[in-house]
Amino acid sequence: MGELDALRVREEVLQAMYWMRSEGLAETPDADLLARFLAVPAATLSPYLERFAGEGYLEAAEAGYRLTDRGQEAGKRTFAEEFADLTRPTHGECDDDCWCHESPEEAARCLEGKAEHAHAH
Amino acid sequence: MRMPTEPVEPAVPRNFLRPCLLLLLREQPAHGYELLERLPPLGFGRDDPGGLYRALRALEREGLVHSSWQPSPEGPDRRIYELTRAGMEVLHGSAKSLAAGREMLEVFLSRYGEFVSLAGAGDTARQRSPAPS
Repeated sequence: MGELDALRVREEVLQAMYWMRSEGLAETPDADLLARFLAVPAATLSPYLERFAGEGYLEAAEAGYRLTDRGQEAGKRTFAEEFADLTRPTHGECDDDCWCHESPEEAARCLEGKAEHAHAH
Repeated sequence: MRMPTEPVEPAVPRNFLRPCLLLLLREQPAHGYELLERLPPLGFGRDDPGGLYRALRALEREGLVHSSWQPSPEGPDRRIYELTRAGMEVLHGSAKSLAAGREMLEVFLSRYGEFVSLAGAGDTARQRSPAPS
């Protein structure tokens, strides 16, 4: 497996495992469950999981794998980074009656708030 | 004439999960698990969270959905999803398309109903798992 492939798969796996865990769906998914989740063959995924365990991102648990602290931090961080540029709100996404239209300063504050997901109309 | 009833797979548009998720998020922002819970009335089962996960990621890549971490008092932070303005526009387009399709379906079913009664066919419809979008 190539290093770039491993990096890409690692991000996918860690993000999926973090999401599954945070939603209460699975704490220690096995290769089959993860493969179904990511829509890839389990046989393809298994060597990667072993590698990520060796690198300290996962640990074997029950019949599957659990995120280590390092894996959990990486999963959460890369999830946010992956979509940061795509989903950053832009001015004009608010409703017409949003207070951010009152002045450039209010608009700037609105953008900051939305970026932190604290903005609700 | 009445035909024997068997479990029926509902015929819905391809990628029907997408407008359904946009609709659920139009109603209110939600976590993944909550979306899974709200999908069955729209004909989807709860047994494929992976399909939901992939669909949400695809919607987010397309800019139709925005998500952010929401701190959880117990356990890890959870991802909460909300509709973007672009998502709202796509949802509206989907709804108009579905409405146009419904008119054609009603004509078809009305004309077929001249030959065979389909009463009860909807009661036997099976729930589907979220398919990859």
